[in-house]
Amino acid sequence: MADSETTTRSQIVVETRGLKKTYFGKVETPVLHGIDIQVQAGEFIAIIGQSGSGKSTLLNILGALDVPTEGTVLIDGVDIATLSEDDLAALRNRVIGFVFQFHYLLDELSCLENALTPITICKGEASEDEKSYVLALLDRVGLAEQINKHPDAMSGGQNQRCAIIRALANQPKVVLADEPTGNLDSRSGNEVFNIMREMNREKGAAFIMVTHDDRLAQEADRILAIEDGWVHEIDKREHRMKLISSLNDS
Amino acid sequence: MKSSLSWIPLNWRFEARLALRYLMTGGGQTLLTIGSVAAGVIVIVFLTSLIFGIRAKLTKMLTESMPHVTVKVRDLEPVPLSEIQDLDSAMSSSRIEKKAPQLKFIDDWQHAIDTIRTVPNVRMALPAIQGQGFASKGGNPIGVSVTGADPSQQDQVSPVTKDLIAGKYVGLAADEVVIDYELAKDLSVSIGDRIRMTSSTGNTEPLSIAGIYSRGQGRGGAYVTLRTGQSLFGMGNSVNVILVKVNDLFGSDEVADRIQSLLPYEARSWSREYPSFVSSLTVQSASAYLISAFSLIASSFAIASVLIVSVLQKSKQIGILKSIGAKRSQILRVFTLEGLIIALAGSLAGAALGSLLVFLLSLPLQKTARPGHVPDQLFPVAILPVYIFGAVIAAIIATVIAAWFPAKRAASMNPVDVMR
Repeated sequence: MADSETTTRSQIVVETRGLKKTYFGKVETPVLHGIDIQVQAGEFIAIIGQSGSGKSTLLNILGALDVPTEGTVLIDGVDIATLSEDDLAALRNRVIGFVFQFHYLLDELSCLENALTPITICKGEASEDEKSYVLALLDRVGLAEQINKHPDAMSGGQNQRCAIIRALANQPKVVLADEPTGNLDSRSGNEVFNIMREMNREKGAAFIMVTHDDRLAQEADRILAIEDGWVHEIDKREHRMKLISSLNDS
Repeated sequence: MKSSLSWIPLNWRFEARLALRYLMTGGGQTLLTIGSVAAGVIVIVFLTSLIFGIRAKLTKMLTESMPHVTVKVRDLEPVPLSEIQDLDSAMSSSRIEKKAPQLKFIDDWQHAIDTIRTVPNVRMALPAIQGQGFASKGGNPIGVSVTGADPSQQDQVSPVTKDLIAGKYVGLAADEVVIDYELAKDLSVSIGDRIRMTSSTGNTEPLSIAGIYSRGQGRGGAYVTLRTGQSLFGMGNSVNVILVKVNDLFGSDEVADRIQSLLPYEARSWSREYPSFVSSLTVQSASAYLISAFSLIASSFAIASVLIVSVLQKSKQIGILKSIGAKRSQILRVFTLEGLIIALAGSLAGAALGSLLVFLLSLPLQKTARPGHVPDQLFPVAILPVYIFGAVIAAIIATVIAAWFPAKRAASMNPVDVMR
């Protein structure tokens, strides 16, 4: 039992304990009231919720971009509150990958250069092996012909696929995706989601995806819903039934 | 992707690549910032070349034809008896009367010259006779300053040969004289004619005109050999002045002070003879520095504002870079390097264009010229490498400082705020 617990704990890549976040502006706005989640290596988790429910806030805290008001965040077993600013940058570079609603690729760099950015930030120059790895990933997502093109010469779906490969370039343990299909038409959105799912299965990186799309959420391993600053897991069967009935209604 | 930047250390390569890409894709914005730096440098190069060119020309005009330090016997100032303490109770006069100027001899001039030559910054020391006289040819005598000195040495102290419009100076015989063009005109004489030269001591020598010179500075004087000068002024083997030329013009005061401390004579530097001239040169230089500083400040503000806009435009990119692991120091380096590249490109372009402008300005000549001489430059500009180098360095420092503030702002951006 103890062994199995140890194994399970060692496979947890993201864990939060009593995570709270309050914004202190003119008005005090509590957003997260005490979040406890655990994400296993290789898991694909969808986070759903109304706009303003705190999904993106949670994702930013998990990505060490924002700090909680209370509670603990462990990434790959490390309490991020104990890390210096440079250590947090290194954590974001090597352990975490980010995909945003907008691709945020650098217009000045080509598709390949953008995909290599996490490596070049860290090492200055990518090795031949690293370049081959990233080229293979780009090929895998259908961007082999686009590697020398700049973002303005590629479609929205192609840019988002490049952004996913950028998130995977340093072989992170967890990829945080904040509505990655939110800015794409449904066809491109499906393509991007399928690629993320495939990468999740092939590369073993855990994915935490915030989405408004119930249909895509249904494809995740687990669905977490955030409501009024609290998180709870949704039974996928129930969610599926709800989804079918809402489709029938429409 | 690599190769061209392989000479840059690995831990700077990402930043250098990004800074270069930002500039290369910046188009008009990049050209505008480089142009701002270049404009600042052009102003400095042009201004310093013009002001220091004018300064050099004026200084040369004034000092070329005069010794930098003149050594002569000190004129004793009369002192009222009441100021002599020992004679407190004695009779005293309240009337102070200066002695009439007299030619005073420097008898030990050979020793004095040896001593003067040991003073640092002294290029040469020349024994000479200087006095007033009258030149005449038949009609009324005309007052003239007479200098008696060895011609070849005199040429090194206040050149005569280079201003000759006819005849010769070096190789002057004892019965020959070189006179100024205006004096020659007034006396209606030319080369080979004979004039009478009468000194203030009353001695008269008939002299033949061996050369006529013009410095374009109004009526000049007459030059004879040292021997003739001694004879004219009845000085025997003595001289009454030692003319000193120094290497660094603006170090003349120190040379004069040093000579005075070593010899019992009065040594006067050119800069103390013309204090208002020196003061106006100082004002000119200060103005040049001031205008240069203001133009640098103005271009720094222009650069800072363009870079601030650039940082604001790239705030989302900065956010994403930080979210994928770029450190604060790396972002700072990207934008500081961008500023540094702008500074290098702008200041070098400014130095080249400024030098070209100065060169072009140096070409036009004045419409009139001194008799027998080619016309002077219309703009007396001088390309001064030290000031061009200084302008480049100053522009680089100012630009990097101007770039540092927006870079710092970029580095401290919170990715969550900028990507929201």
